[in-house]
Amino acid sequence: MTASPSPLRPSALALLVTAAATGTFSMAAVAAAPSSIRVPLGWFAASGSLLLAVAACAVTWWARNARQLRAQVSALTADVAVREAHIARLTADAARETAAHTAERSRLVAGHTAEMDHLSTARAAELDRVTQAHAAELDSLDAAHRAGREQLAEELRLARSGRAAAMAAAANAAGRMQALATGMLADLREMEHKHADEEVLGDLLHLDHRTAQAGRLADSIAVLTGARSGRRWARPIVMESILRGAMGRIGGYQRVRLHSTSEAAVAGHAAEGVMHALAELLDNAANFSPPTAEVHVYVEEVPAGIIITVEDSGLVMSEVQLSRAEQAVTAESLDLAGLSGTRLGLAVVGRLARKHGLTVSFRPSARGGTGALMMLPQELISRAPAEPVPAPPLIAAPEPAPRTVTVPAPRAATVPAPAPAAEAEPVHDSADTTHDSETTGTTPVLGESGLPQRRRGRTLAAAHPEGPDAAAAAARTPAAPGSASQSAARFGSFRQAVRGTSAQQPSTPTHPEGNTQ
Amino acid sequence: MSRGRPGRDDSPDRLYTLTGGRSSSGSDAFDLVTLIVAECDPVPGMQSEHAAILRMSRFPTAVVEIAAELGLPVSIVRILLADLHGTGRISARHPRATTYRLPDLDILEQVLVGLRNL
Repeated sequence: MTASPSPLRPSALALLVTAAATGTFSMAAVAAAPSSIRVPLGWFAASGSLLLAVAACAVTWWARNARQLRAQVSALTADVAVREAHIARLTADAARETAAHTAERSRLVAGHTAEMDHLSTARAAELDRVTQAHAAELDSLDAAHRAGREQLAEELRLARSGRAAAMAAAANAAGRMQALATGMLADLREMEHKHADEEVLGDLLHLDHRTAQAGRLADSIAVLTGARSGRRWARPIVMESILRGAMGRIGGYQRVRLHSTSEAAVAGHAAEGVMHALAELLDNAANFSPPTAEVHVYVEEVPAGIIITVEDSGLVMSEVQLSRAEQAVTAESLDLAGLSGTRLGLAVVGRLARKHGLTVSFRPSARGGTGALMMLPQELISRAPAEPVPAPPLIAAPEPAPRTVTVPAPRAATVPAPAPAAEAEPVHDSADTTHDSETTGTTPVLGESGLPQRRRGRTLAAAHPEGPDAAAAAARTPAAPGSASQSAARFGSFRQAVRGTSAQQPSTPTHPEGNTQ
Repeated sequence: MSRGRPGRDDSPDRLYTLTGGRSSSGSDAFDLVTLIVAECDPVPGMQSEHAAILRMSRFPTAVVEIAAELGLPVSIVRILLADLHGTGRISARHPRATTYRLPDLDILEQVLVGLRNL
């Protein structure tokens, strides 16, 4: 057996030892034995020693083998025991770990649940608190808001009343300034009639111009503050006077060129407004064009009324500016907040346009600048020029009284003549009838006396613009012409002298009146 | 003042707009008694005072009479007349130029009587 050499070596050793011992004994026995038995004895001893050696060897072998197997069995048993112990330990460990894990898990679950509960309650509490806080905040805000609103309302009331008071004060002051300006203009006109000195007259005209501009500013403020318009003309104003009245109220009036052949007149109640609006448009045109450029005014009669066009050659207004200007003059309600101290014009025009039904529009002008169109509706226009109308009957009426009865026919004929013709040119017509009745030619004719023969003071008041009152007063109180202006007074005495001589020679054939028969 | 209520004037025309701002005619061709004769008829589009002067002075008319009829100061009328004169629409005659000799005493007497009878 090569697998277990360890039993082999003791076996071999036992075999050798036994063989050696027995061999020795056998040799000794053979050597001592009689020669006759020696050989069988030899053989016997040899085989017995051999058998003994083999038996010793086998015994050693088995004994050794048995001991080895026993040791192996005990080692295996111990190993099994160790393994069993290890398994038991592992099982115990596993059981312990499982128990620990379960415990941990239950602990964690419990902790989580507790946390969840805690959190949900905290959340509910927080929600309540926040809701309450929000409600409280809302209440306080609402209260603050209400208080603020009330304060605002109060301030608004104060501002409104303050604005109304300021407007009323401004309107009042503007009205007084208007009255002052109007009075000053009248005084200046009186002075202009009184002073013949050209230097004084020049100064007076200068003052007149300044006063007219101041009056326009007062008018503007009055219009913007909603005050009553300054003056009302008692009669329609012819277009020429409207244009010149407007022109006289601006600084650069000498640059304004009027192109009008219109005979129409503007109703007295609207004349001031039209003049003022036109003055503002002219002022705009003059201010926004070069100082040497002319501003042209055209009057055109159309079926809907009269269009007055103001054209300058100054700055070209852009589309935006044009529309802004249009908006300014057509705005429904005036926004005083948009006013600046130097740009009142268009707002004033807008107010006046609304008041009198004027239509104002702007367009680029062919002259390179801007054209402003103002349309006067038909309601504001009266076709019969009022200035000449009252004049002919008024001079015809007072005159027949001091006249001698020899010449009633021509006068009676001329009196009704102007009335139907009043529509056209009354002054012209009455003058024509008078011309036809006279013998004098177109050149001054010397009478027999050598004095240049003058026509009678035929139309002393024919074109007298002072109005009916002045003419009538002059005719009624011929001895006291002091109330008339200076030149009228001077002429009054002149006329009386003429009338006196004609009364003295009523039937003189060379008398102009006589030839009318 | 004789025009309407005191402190009011009834014409919106300011005098400086009639003359374009001038206060002096620049000529002394016209005095109060200069006779003015129109040389043409008024044309449309003319300043109304110019037209009125031309209508008035179809026959010789004194400056002072024109001024009285227009209701304007003589100085202003002089400027208007100077404008018309400058464009040849009127001619001016001074009475002295045509009536150099004294009139008959009879006429003067008659005038005196007439004046006394006033």
